[in-house]
Amino acid sequence: MNTRTRKLAVLTSVLALTALAGACGAGGKDDDDKGGGGGATEVGVTDAAVTIGGTFPLTGVAAPGYSEIPTGAQAYFDYVNANGGVHGRSIEFLVKDDGYDPTKTSSLTDELVLKDKVFATLGSLGTPTHNAVVDSLNDQEVPDLFVSSGALAWGDDPGAHPWTFGWQPDYEIEGKIIGQWVSENMPDAKVGLFLQDDDFGEDAEKGVREYIDAQVVEAQRYTSGNTDVGPQIAALQASGADLVLSFTTPSYTALGQLVSLKLGFKPQWYVSNVGSDPTLVGGLLERFSEGAVPGTASSLNGVMTTRYIPGVDQPDNPWVQLWQKVWDESGQDGELTNYRIYGMSFAYTFVQALEAAGEDLTRDGLVEAIEDDGGDFAGPQLAPYRYSSDSHLGISGMQVVELQDGVGQPVTDVLTTDIGDSEIATDDSGQADDAPPESGLPE
Amino acid sequence: MQQLINTALGGLTLGMVYAAFALALVLIWRSTHVVNFAQAPMAMVTTFVALEIIDHGHSYWLGFAVALAAGLVLGAVVERVVVRPVEGGPEINAVILTLGLFIVLHALASVVFGNRYRSFPAAFGIRGIDVGGTTIALTGFGIFTILAVLAVMTLLVLLFRFTDLGLRMRAAAFNQEVARLLGVRVGRMLTLGWALAALVGSLSGLLIAGGSLVSPGYMDSVVVYGFVAAVLGGLDSPVGAVVGGLFLGLSLSFVSGYVGSQLVALAALAILMAVLFLRPDGLFAPARERRV
Repeated sequence: MNTRTRKLAVLTSVLALTALAGACGAGGKDDDDKGGGGGATEVGVTDAAVTIGGTFPLTGVAAPGYSEIPTGAQAYFDYVNANGGVHGRSIEFLVKDDGYDPTKTSSLTDELVLKDKVFATLGSLGTPTHNAVVDSLNDQEVPDLFVSSGALAWGDDPGAHPWTFGWQPDYEIEGKIIGQWVSENMPDAKVGLFLQDDDFGEDAEKGVREYIDAQVVEAQRYTSGNTDVGPQIAALQASGADLVLSFTTPSYTALGQLVSLKLGFKPQWYVSNVGSDPTLVGGLLERFSEGAVPGTASSLNGVMTTRYIPGVDQPDNPWVQLWQKVWDESGQDGELTNYRIYGMSFAYTFVQALEAAGEDLTRDGLVEAIEDDGGDFAGPQLAPYRYSSDSHLGISGMQVVELQDGVGQPVTDVLTTDIGDSEIATDDSGQADDAPPESGLPE
Repeated sequence: MQQLINTALGGLTLGMVYAAFALALVLIWRSTHVVNFAQAPMAMVTTFVALEIIDHGHSYWLGFAVALAAGLVLGAVVERVVVRPVEGGPEINAVILTLGLFIVLHALASVVFGNRYRSFPAAFGIRGIDVGGTTIALTGFGIFTILAVLAVMTLLVLLFRFTDLGLRMRAAAFNQEVARLLGVRVGRMLTLGWALAALVGSLSGLLIAGGSLVSPGYMDSVVVYGFVAAVLGGLDSPVGAVVGGLFLGLSLSFVSGYVGSQLVALAALAILMAVLFLRPDGLFAPARERRV
């Protein structure tokens, strides 16, 4: 039986290598040479155009929903370009698919910076993915704008990452706002946490525990990529939690709901803004068992979430009307979705930043403009930005809503706060009543 | 207690899927002495075929049957067209070839079916069964999974142990020359082995897809766990494959529930290494002859 053992050994080593290759996926740091610096003209900028780029998961477990974000941003840039661009320059937006895999993010970002020579990165998506490139972008002094993730790392310490800016409300203030709401309105609830096992879950947990540490009976974490969340939900059920705060991406929101159905676990759910799109999650849930889960948007009925920009459930909102017009004019396939609106919204902020930076566009000038003027940028956000030289964090607040047939019913006013022990207050800036200019271009 | 039961039941269903995949590997190993790395993408392709049929408004079971039939055909075609030219050479050539096939099928599926995550329906409902007022983590589809895998295992045992055909397949795999001299149509046996293995593989693809999300990569983790299960069982034994699958499914479920989901892949590797240290031929290998 000698050959047999040998064959088995070959097979085993191949298998071990496969597993090892998988396990190594998370590493990936690169020591790049400095990318081409200043000079007379800025990298990625000509008189006619400015080239920017970003990495997004167009494939893989994080792709549902998130893959639509760059299409929205592209639609808005098409609209701006058709109306003369910014300071006479059109905006060229390059999109790379990293599949939510940090190793790929590194090489694709290098490609954007070194080969495509982008002026800045914009909207690059994901906490674990962007963590892999944030240092290298800052070392190379490439503006790294409006990361599509609410991790604190994108703005809580501008000294460490002077070139990186967040955009959406960070997960800590989302955790704080829902934490305070629970402590005031459901003080007897036994709270379970269902968290993604990275900065996303960690930052949110920090915020939640500031208010309801004593109410939390169980915290369970899932690893993105492993679609079996049965054991985690079983543990939450066993803990007796009757309110689950879920900081999950859309696929995992769907998987969590599905397993709960399997286990007969029926708590009150709160789902983080990033994972609660009723159309998308409902669409994923709907077909699992012909008819066992009710139709599209209503499958998340009664689930609480937050919102910080107007979405497709508010067709009368002037911003949503603008986005609808922009989307229709772009002629891309598909409907206007909340993810596309998200992409358009940060694209709008980027156009504002370009305008504020003036005609002589430089990387330094752009960062300075956001730090100086960003706090006063108008736009669709319900609460003002926090941009300054001390903070590169984005939108300062959000509103708690409850989903009914895909429409978010306000539960609170727009609440604003900041990281750390900053108080939560009702927003009095009137930002939420802001309407877009007639032209649809920031003024 | 409830968590213990539910974690165990979740592991049981998952283990059965690993077992189904391991059975396909055992089948192909016994009938051709090759390990087929392309098993997973082949199953992924047939599952997508089923999904396309269901999405066009046909019944779940039509999709199910067509996927199994597609598996049978795909297995035979792969053997005749791709593997046949390297047969007779060192077996490692065929193994490497299946690795290449793995990548090609992956890419083709992305082009044809798209890279989106799509949900795959499950027959028999996805709500847990009610036992005395508490819901346990065993769905109608879970029970179907368990029964289907046990049935396949029994059929394979019967095939190899009690039928003439099974004997001929084993002979063809064991020694082609001698088998040929004894009148076995070796080429035909190899094709049949691949076809049957792909059929069982398709079944495992359908079982793991039911009530979950599918994308071109959804079988990738099953490849690793299915191989581990098959190796645990000794690669030769259908019963061993099922026991290996169950053991792995339960262990990983408990690791995920009580230790941490980030350790699942590591635990699978640790189990594999431990078994190979203690019993290099797998748990169910026949006693070794002594070498003199």
